[in-house]
Amino acid sequence: MNILLKLIVLIVPAIFIFLFFIILTNEDVYPGADYDQFELPDFELKDLDDSKRISIDFIEGDYVLNVWASWCITCIVEHPYLMNLSKTGVPVIGLNYKDEKQDAIVWLKKYGNPYQTILHDYKGNLALDLGVTGAPETFLINNGEIVAHYQGEVNDRIWNDVFMPIIKDRKMF
Amino acid sequence: MRYLFIFLAFLSINSSSDNLYYFEDENDETRFNNLIKDIRCPKCTSGSLSSSNAPISEDLKIKIAEMINENKTDQEIKDYVSSRFGQDSLYEPDLNKNTYILWYSPFVFLLLALLFFFFRRQ
Repeated sequence: MNILLKLIVLIVPAIFIFLFFIILTNEDVYPGADYDQFELPDFELKDLDDSKRISIDFIEGDYVLNVWASWCITCIVEHPYLMNLSKTGVPVIGLNYKDEKQDAIVWLKKYGNPYQTILHDYKGNLALDLGVTGAPETFLINNGEIVAHYQGEVNDRIWNDVFMPIIKDRKMF
Repeated sequence: MRYLFIFLAFLSINSSSDNLYYFEDENDETRFNNLIKDIRCPKCTSGSLSSSNAPISEDLKIKIAEMINENKTDQEIKDYVSSRFGQDSLYEPDLNKNTYILWYSPFVFLLLALLFFFFRRQ
């Protein structure tokens, strides 16, 4: 009994070291990724380009919804990847988040426009309903249902590790 | 003259103070204040909505005030927040199969400690 008690002093820390080793060296973990599935919330926003009203039924099928703003520095870093993505035929819809219209248009002229359509969410209502905490954030939408959500910059690695498995699984695009 | 300025200073403080959120009765306001203490700010490492002035917290507080005025229950509001910003946005997590360990492990550890002392005495 006494020996067992003494061994506990060794065993308990050993278990913790082992657990921390496994958890902290796991490279597949993406803290920004979230796979909760939920319906795209109802919205009615204006188009950034021509101020037409856009409602939930306007965009059909599968697409990528990217939350961006002209004040967002990481969006500039992410931008070339989105340009490539839209060139390969993936429909990218922009959600302009808490941004002045003029600033957003100037920003797109400067860096290029990868978006098919841009929703102008000046007050951040739709973004709040989606669970957006900042920019950039990216959603994958499959027939009106959100199937993946990533907080932070999307690049080749994130696209392949976070989004690609779901796209293949659901046979999207 | 000096006293007039002091008087005016007090008057201006009163006239510029106003409620940020509007409720039909005091009960709703109490509910609001309790809720924003129980919900974590999505952008902060550890801080409640009531302690935060981050833009996202401001939005969320306006939304919560709206939902209270729409007669939503506390549970509905908490569900709204946790389904969007994650389970960890509630300071008091729900009791479900994912949080059993969180809720019951203190009792398990207490039991283990008691057993430990019991056997040591023998």
